[in-house]
This record gives sequence, structure tokens and C-alpha cells, in this order.
Amino acid sequence: MSPSKNDIQFFGTLSAAMTHDMKNCLAIINENAGLLTDLAVKAQDRAIPVDPLKAAIISEKIGKLVARADDMIKRFNRFAHSMDYDKETVDLEEAVDLVARLAERIFRQDRIRLTVIPASAPCRIHASRFALLHLIYRAMDILCRHQAEGTSDIEKPVTVRFGTDPNMPEICFTQDSGPEIKLESLFTSPEDQALLARVNMNIRTMDSGAGFCLNTLPPARE
Amino acid sequence: MSEKVLLVDDEKDFLDIMSERMEARGMTVKTAESADQALKILEKESFDAIVMDFKMPGMDGIQALKNIKTRKPELQIILLTGYATVEKTVEAMKIGATDLLEKPADLEALAAKIKQAKAEKMLLVEKKTEDKIKDILKRFGG
Repeated sequence: MSPSKNDIQFFGTLSAAMTHDMKNCLAIINENAGLLTDLAVKAQDRAIPVDPLKAAIISEKIGKLVARADDMIKRFNRFAHSMDYDKETVDLEEAVDLVARLAERIFRQDRIRLTVIPASAPCRIHASRFALLHLIYRAMDILCRHQAEGTSDIEKPVTVRFGTDPNMPEICFTQDSGPEIKLESLFTSPEDQALLARVNMNIRTMDSGAGFCLNTLPPARE
Repeated sequence: MSEKVLLVDDEKDFLDIMSERMEARGMTVKTAESADQALKILEKESFDAIVMDFKMPGMDGIQALKNIKTRKPELQIILLTGYATVEKTVEAMKIGATDLLEKPADLEALAAKIKQAKAEKMLLVEKKTEDKIKDILKRFGG
């Protein structure tokens, strides 16, 4: 299936956030390398020996930063490969984890404080991995915007839980505070409806009005 | 005389290492992890230059730039960015950024820009003082 305009926008948004974080990491590696040069120059010009402990600390920092950047690139690579198959078996918890890590910078910027409650049993669906990642991100975005209504710069706590029925995989998104969430205000645009249809998922709101769940449609009868 | 710089970035590791290297070059450096924190510091202290990340959680670089320039127009702000698009650079310059550098930045280039920013700030302060004196002389018939 060809990606929609919204898919491309989603890919662009997450790519920009990821590459920004990678650049930040490179900037810190660059400064640490620069500090080593500073120490070497000082040692040569003023005959001040390089403190071995200081050099070891800098080297350790560089190692940690390289590991951090490598982790980012791996995540980004997994994201890029999410388009490899039209449909595959996808673990919902893994998908939420990947979106949370890819969008870390965006969530930080939007003041979203995300808590993911681990699934008690594997929660898997057969769908397009990319479309599912897009849907999860969209769900978080909807919840964040809903909480931000009437307020601007507040922290937005969001909790993600998984269903326990293996026959009906489900992801639930809840807010700690904010106006009541009504079904008629969720995923109303044709683009959102198309995204739900691609992943073959339904929405249901929670009785408390504190959130909503995305669950798989019961299998169509032959 | 050393340059007094306020360094603003949401990456603490970046602040630590940059301030250490800048201080080794004779600068006096104070750090802030957000634009809000920077604004609070600016209420109490004055700086020759502010080196600030363009994109930060909460108030972003453009918003912070507008706020600082409204309160203290003589302040010189150098923006650091991951990706300097022409559009963003023009927007930042229009609001009053002194300069914009792409990360990872060359420290020697940044140090030169800070020196230049200090000189420009001094000129602005001198001009402001001169205008004040002229105004007093005009009003009291000097």
C-alpha cells in the first residue's frame, strides 16, 4: 500500500526529532574530543602532564555517548524497516516502546510524561507495523491535545496499558487529568478513519471518560 | 577583560563540557537547562552574550529570543541549532539574533563570535548612555 500524505508527515516528524537528538549526541562527543585536544595542547605548551584519571573519564563519556547514538540509530533503523511488509505479526508493547523512544524529544517538548504499564501476557496483532506505529503516535497526539485544551504549558501525564484478553488485543491510553474524553471527538477525520481501518482497529472510550482504547475488530465471519 | 556568557541548552552533558572548555579560554560561564531558567537568571544578572539552543522543551529558541529581546534589547544572542534552515535563520535574525551556528559547533568560531557580540553590546550600551546624556542636556538646557 502506498504511504499517504499523513504517513509521510509522520515519518518526517519522527525523523526530524531523531536526527536532532543524534546531532546533540555528536555535539557532545565533539566537545569531549575537543577537551582531549585542549589537554594535549596544554601538556605540550605548558609542560602540564595530562591527568590520566581525567583522560579516562573523558574516554568513558565518549564511549557512553557512542552507545547512546548507536541505540538511536538502531531505533531509527527499526522504524525505517517498519515498512518492509504490508502485514506482519506485531507486538503491541514493542510498538508502543518504539514510538515512545522515537518520539522522546517531541514528548519532552510537548511536556508529555509517559508511563507504560507492561503487558501481563503477549499482546500481538497481524497488521502493517508502520501503520500501527503511526496510529499509536496519533493516539498520543490526540490525548495530548485534548489535555492541553484551555491550558498551555502544563505537564501532561499519559498512561498506556495493554488488554489482558489474548483474543482481543487492546492498547489503552489514559490521562490523569483533563476534560472528559468523548467517543464522537476521537479519530473523526477521514485520514484518522483510514488509519484505523488499515490496522483493523476500533476505538472505545472508558466509562470514566479518562481515556480510550484501541482494540482489534472481531474476525469477520466467513 | 573576560566575556561573561550565559549558556542555555536542555542537554546537561553539553552544558558541562562546553562551560569547562569555555572557562579554559578565559570566559565566565553560567548555565541554564531551559529558556525559563535563563529568563530568571537574566532578571538578576547581565551577560555579554547568550549562547542558546534553538529547540528546547517548553519555551523554544524563537520564543525565548523574542522574550529576551523585548526585556533587554541590548543583549547579544547566539543561537545553536541542529539544522540551520535558511527560513529559520532569517526568522531568528529578524527577531534580533546576533548569529546562528550549527551543532556541532567549532569552539574557536563560537569564541570569536562571543568576542564580537561583546563588542557590539558595548557599542549599544555606549550609544544608549550617549542618548540618555543628550536627552538630559536637552531637557535641562545644557
